[in-house]
Amino acid sequence: MSGYLKLAGKNLLRHRTRSVLTMLGIAASVGVLFSVLSFNKGFTEGLAVELERTGLHFMVVPSGCAHEVAALVLHGAVIPKFLDTKVMEHVTATAGIDMATPILVAQLPDQQRGKIDLIYGVDMSVLSAIKPGWEITGKIPDQDNEILLGYEVAQHEKLQPGDQFSTGGGANLLVSGIVGLTGSQDDAFVYLPIKTAQKLLDHPAAATAIGVKVTDPTRMVEITDALTAAVPGIQIVTMGEVMNSISNLAASARALSLAIVLIAILISAVGVMNSILMAVFERTQEIGMMRAVGASRWDIFRIILEETTILSLSGGLVGILISILGSRLIEAFVRSVMPFVPSGNLISFDPVVAAGSVLFIFIIGLCAGIYPALKASKINPVEAIKG
Amino acid sequence: MIELKQIEKNYRRGAEEVRALRGVDLSIAAGELLAIIGPSGAGKTTLLHILGCLDQPSKGDVLFDGVNTSNMPESELVQLRREKIGFVFQQFYLIPGLSVFDNIALPLLFSKKQASRSKILALAEMVGLEHRLDHAPAQLSGGEMQRAAIARGLVNDPEVLLADEPTGNLDSENSDKIYALLRSLSQNGLATVMITHNTELAARAQRTVQIRDGLVHP
Ligand SMILES: Nc1ncnc2c1ncn2[C@@H]1O[C@H](COP(=O)(O)OP(=O)(O)OP(=O)(O)O)[C@@H](O)[C@H]1O
Ligand SMILES: [Mg+2]
Repeated sequence: MSGYLKLAGKNLLRHRTRSVLTMLGIAASVGVLFSVLSFNKGFTEGLAVELERTGLHFMVVPSGCAHEVAALVLHGAVIPKFLDTKVMEHVTATAGIDMATPILVAQLPDQQRGKIDLIYGVDMSVLSAIKPGWEITGKIPDQDNEILLGYEVAQHEKLQPGDQFSTGGGANLLVSGIVGLTGSQDDAFVYLPIKTAQKLLDHPAAATAIGVKVTDPTRMVEITDALTAAVPGIQIVTMGEVMNSISNLAASARALSLAIVLIAILISAVGVMNSILMAVFERTQEIGMMRAVGASRWDIFRIILEETTILSLSGGLVGILISILGSRLIEAFVRSVMPFVPSGNLISFDPVVAAGSVLFIFIIGLCAGIYPALKASKINPVEAIKG
Repeated sequence: MIELKQIEKNYRRGAEEVRALRGVDLSIAAGELLAIIGPSGAGKTTLLHILGCLDQPSKGDVLFDGVNTSNMPESELVQLRREKIGFVFQQFYLIPGLSVFDNIALPLLFSKKQASRSKILALAEMVGLEHRLDHAPAQLSGGEMQRAAIARGLVNDPEVLLADEPTGNLDSENSDKIYALLRSLSQNGLATVMITHNTELAARAQRTVQIRDGLVHP
């Protein structure tokens, strides 16, 4: 180990508490920086995988509410508009379409009991593809009168699988399963076979959207163009667009958190500067002595700079360690605040990102060290020694 | 070895000019032990710093081994301090976080030399601290601290050792020890300059000069 590094290290150990606190300040901000960067990577990857798993290539929706569709598929929201009944026929008749599944999301008032149920009708065989992250207690309905309850609904109505569920349509439905807590609006819905939903609404062909799978994805543009030309009043949203709009949301959340992280890093860098500056002032006489016994200005500069480097580098490494160890907690936090979050690991650790974060804090540390080091190197030995 | 010619040093204190040294002539030879005495504020420390090339005179010349240092750039002065000058201070200035060994070896870091264990051990033996090398400075007595500081001043094999009131913080017994150490160093050929307020020690020195009002009185 270089003598300078050793001297710098020993100097830091003279004020253990101060050094450790300063280092932890750096660790906290680097940890968050690394988490935010890793999070974005994991999030985008997770999202792509998830949309891929729905098996759908695009959705047909009433024109004018494209953005709500992203929400609809992934996040349960009520769209106040139905597709024209003819649309489904048009879609299935279009060449190149492998599968089309109608989805019906609506409010169902129950006057007798003074409540409004949010219902989500879909072909139950595609449900697990559209909502891949769900943990279901019981089973997915396979009969027309069977339903699946969102977590909150089940809690509120105190229902278990096997219980009866009554709705405004007067029908008695059987709870076949309950969806585990998702932390999203999915918790507030009742999921049921599309046919049953249409019957309850008294609207036999109603659909809010149609999920479509094509036989040859490379021909998708042709197909969607043909569809929009043939059917008036619809709009087509591809999964790519859904992905984009969610990604954009995530990106702006990320930009905001990055800005906050950068401010935190600046604050901790100022902390480093302050702590080192204090140490320099306290050691004025000692620095004068070192000049007298042969240290050049540069030698002094270097010792002080190495002290800041040790602080920022160790802070950076500790921060990355903490964020790896604490990634589960961070994920839980993000799930509770973000509207749509893919299941699976959100945070994906990349050594390159880790190295980049450390390099970044190393440079910041150097910058924070320059002023105290310069101050130290300018101490006049004659005046310092006199005390 | 070191020759001062008509050295003047002025300080500004606000509008007032302080004439700390007003034309000092002095020469120091190898193997000599010189004691500098004088009242407080007479300019002793100022003179010592000029001798040690740590401070520059306002006027006059400092000749080190015949070389005039007046117009030397800072880098050469640093080099000179590293190779030829050892400093010892009243307050010792040992670094608390370093062991006695590392404190003695500190100047080698700046002169970019290897700190060989045998060399540090030999110095420690000379000052009687061979059993204290792994201790922290805080574990030493005042006399031991000053002896460690003297060993540090010698580690670069200087030609001159400059000590500013080295016994100023010590009792008479420890002062005697330090004095004996400095004298034996000078007897081995080292030029040694010691500022002191201790007239008894000064009287024992081979040569004594008095500084009064910025001038040397033999
Ligand atoms: N940086 C400075 N600015 C202004 N005046 C100074 C400065 N340094 C020293 N002086 C003045 O120069 C004079 C000589 O100071 P110096 O420190 O050399 O005295 P000294 O003989 O070592 O005194 P003491 O025995 O108290 O240590 C004093 O009057 C002091 O006030
Ligand atoms: Mg003095």
